[in-house]
Amino acid sequence: MSRENISLAAILWSVIAFLVIYPLSVLIIESFRIAETSGWGISNYLAFFKDTYYLKTFWNTMVLSTLVLLTTTIFGIPLAYILARYRHRGKTIFTALILLPIVLPAFAGVFAFIIFFGKYGTLNLVLMDLGLIKNPINFIYGIHGLVFIQSLHLLPFIVLSLSAGFTNIDPSFEEAAEVEGASGFWRFITVTLPLCTPSYLAGAVIVFLWPFTDWLTPLILGKVDYLPSVAYINIAYHFTDINRKYMGIVAVVVSSIVCIALFMLARRWVERKKYTGLSKGTTSEGRVIEPSPIVRYGSYLYMLIVSFIVLLIPIVLGLSAFSRRWVFEPLPTYWTLDNFKVILIESPLLVKNSFLFSGIALIFGIFFGLIAAYVLVRTRIRGNEVLDFIITLMLAFPGMAVGVSYMLAFWKGIPLATHWIIMPLALFARRLPYFLRMAHSSYLQLDISLEEASEVSGVGKFRTFLYISLPLLLKGVLVGVVMFFIMAFQEISTAIFLYRGGWETLPIGIYLNWHRGMEFGIAAAMAFLMIVITFILLLIISRIGGGILKAAWGPGEK
Amino acid sequence: MAFIEIKNLLKRYGKVVAVNHIDLDVKQGEMLTLLGPSGCGKTTTLRCIAGLEKPEAGDIVIDGRSLLSEGFVQPSDRGIGMVFQNYAVWPHMKVFKNVAYGLKLQKLTKHTIREKVLQVLEMVGLGGLEDRYPGQLSGGQQQRVALARALVRNPKVLLLDEPLSNLDAKLREKMRFEIKSLVRRMGMTAIYVTHDQAEAMVISDRIVVMDSGNIIQTGTAQEIYQTPANRFVADFIGTMNFLPGEVVKVEKEKNSAYVKTEFDEKLRCKTTDEIILNQGDKVFASIRPEDVEIFSTKPEKSENLVAGKIANKAYLGNFLFFFVTVNRSTIRVQIPHYSPLEEGDDIYLFLDPEKCMVLA
Repeated sequence: MSRENISLAAILWSVIAFLVIYPLSVLIIESFRIAETSGWGISNYLAFFKDTYYLKTFWNTMVLSTLVLLTTTIFGIPLAYILARYRHRGKTIFTALILLPIVLPAFAGVFAFIIFFGKYGTLNLVLMDLGLIKNPINFIYGIHGLVFIQSLHLLPFIVLSLSAGFTNIDPSFEEAAEVEGASGFWRFITVTLPLCTPSYLAGAVIVFLWPFTDWLTPLILGKVDYLPSVAYINIAYHFTDINRKYMGIVAVVVSSIVCIALFMLARRWVERKKYTGLSKGTTSEGRVIEPSPIVRYGSYLYMLIVSFIVLLIPIVLGLSAFSRRWVFEPLPTYWTLDNFKVILIESPLLVKNSFLFSGIALIFGIFFGLIAAYVLVRTRIRGNEVLDFIITLMLAFPGMAVGVSYMLAFWKGIPLATHWIIMPLALFARRLPYFLRMAHSSYLQLDISLEEASEVSGVGKFRTFLYISLPLLLKGVLVGVVMFFIMAFQEISTAIFLYRGGWETLPIGIYLNWHRGMEFGIAAAMAFLMIVITFILLLIISRIGGGILKAAWGPGEK
Repeated sequence: MAFIEIKNLLKRYGKVVAVNHIDLDVKQGEMLTLLGPSGCGKTTTLRCIAGLEKPEAGDIVIDGRSLLSEGFVQPSDRGIGMVFQNYAVWPHMKVFKNVAYGLKLQKLTKHTIREKVLQVLEMVGLGGLEDRYPGQLSGGQQQRVALARALVRNPKVLLLDEPLSNLDAKLREKMRFEIKSLVRRMGMTAIYVTHDQAEAMVISDRIVVMDSGNIIQTGTAQEIYQTPANRFVADFIGTMNFLPGEVVKVEKEKNSAYVKTEFDEKLRCKTTDEIILNQGDKVFASIRPEDVEIFSTKPEKSENLVAGKIANKAYLGNFLFFFVTVNRSTIRVQIPHYSPLEEGDDIYLFLDPEKCMVLA
């Protein structure tokens, strides 16, 4: 336990204490404060749980989560199976398309589908023009639409985790079942699926937690009785009504507790049951099956349909971005580049802020992440497990919790929030675990003997890290860097509580545009711009190494 | 008619031929071992029998029923029991469920299933462990679960794919005998795959030696050890001294041939009727280390006597090895007891003409 290592760990702990533990504690403590007095008590919680309205929102959110999980699972299992087991043409493209929703900003889906599926959206107009229907069908304004949009956004998580699960099953488990007489379907139910449970749970947790943190989608669809939306409205809009503000805080804390509890439960479950056999290692491809022609064509069709729906988002947004006054027409009639002119030339502040804040957050992230990876993998300092645990736990926290806690913690006591630096700091704190995961798993793969050989040759620890470890880690680190940037770039639910005039980022700009009822075209153009930037960054990642991405994939949240 | 007939079996992976048009017959109740180095095609052959690989050509007939020529019969319909190399014991099911899995698909009553499962678990020595999860068992116990699972349905044929290779040496030795007696007791026909020749010799009624997709030799352990068909088999089974040389004279009536080696003009060796030898052929005079006699003083032998020096001595407890330099060759000698001879001693070796073979 060298002195250098301890000082490194100390740096980590102070950052965590300042940026995570302190604000969250303030949040929790504040929730126990009785409004307009200096007293403490649980009256806020009592009021929350006695109020039928809040209970209803809580219940609604649970129902929504369950529905979304069911939907993604039912539609995701076939997709995952096809991707993992069948060899087919265009596999890379289909995979990329099916995974696309992860990197699209979450609100992109809502906007695009409102334009396409809305009351006077493209689909309804076409159907009415063709005389197939008299009145518009309500495709999305309701819980069915909400489930659809959220499921589409979350589908890739289930598909990725299940597909990894299918691929990693030792083929002999299924072969043994076959020899014992089990036909395809029975084998799938009794052997294949159960063995995927740990992988599935990893994705299922992300999916279930999402509705507890997605305040924006329900809002845009006009349905606000969901926990996160209610919390947002109470805190952001009714800050003069102290009671509502505190109800909002309680709502945030309750959401966080649910998220963390489920997260821990899933981890506990996975750790308890042992799912590995005496595997002698499988091929990286896993078992490959030759499906019958009907199944083969059916699976192509299925993938095409899903891909089409996913592609609708960028296409519709693109059309909207390059046009004006696209209403009551199936397709735009008036094309223009004005929208982009507005964003880039007349008010480039949004773009500048987005890049600036994400960039600074990234720099913080790299430093912290590399140090943390080193400390966690190469040292045995006491408290390492706790540190790892806290950082992992951050993945479960809803973005709102971070935003609100920063709002409370850095206003009066430590007035950090009066400076724009709070924005990158919040982005950094929120998205830190992503970078750390990549760095951590890359580091784990680095054989310690390579570093030891360097030290034996006379090179000190720091230089060893620079000349030996870092170059070898580079691939994984770069992928982590880009992922981190993408996530920070799209971040809204933390930033929305902390921004002040002049600090708006692109996502915030989009939300404000929508909220003020301004031209949809501009909001769409901004969303489209974000998609293009994200896409370019993703291309960079895939060049560097898509395999690493899959290996260290962690949850992605707004 | 044999119980299992393999006819002209061909299996390719792209351009690589894994199983090269082999023919094989297995008698009912026989324990046959496919033996060979990695990549020789033994596991592929076994998997073809199980139906886990689809051969390009050939037929496999079990008890009169063709598995390939009248449409490919699925593995789940073949009524075969198989023990996998890594056991493939399902970790999410208890031992009982693992073993009962195949039985449940046969629509037997719960009572019958329970009876059979417990009976077979008792037979393999896992009585009382039916409620454990595989993760709570040792490697050897997991292997027995795999065995029990394969046996419980009383299959026509039992296939075993290197089932002991993941166990430590002592356990492996013990399990060899257990598997052999178990299979014999149940009167099953079994095909065993291994690269361990000692294992093959202990466990089999007959051994099939394979190399690069071909069957090189088929026979009992004794036949293969004492009369190997060629250099490959001789080298694979046990250890052998290979002394390169040239045939100088053949005496077919006496089943001998004279081989000129680097250190001796006329080494008399044994031949068989199958091997056709001509003068001038390049061959190996081959003799097992335990068949070489070593003397400290010159013995009364008229032929096959060479002089040498002990280069190395290796004491293995139950055996003593000498590495003897004869001219420029090294001959390995094995004796089953203690000897006062030391490295550097000059000695004489007698290569018994009845034990010295000609191999190509």
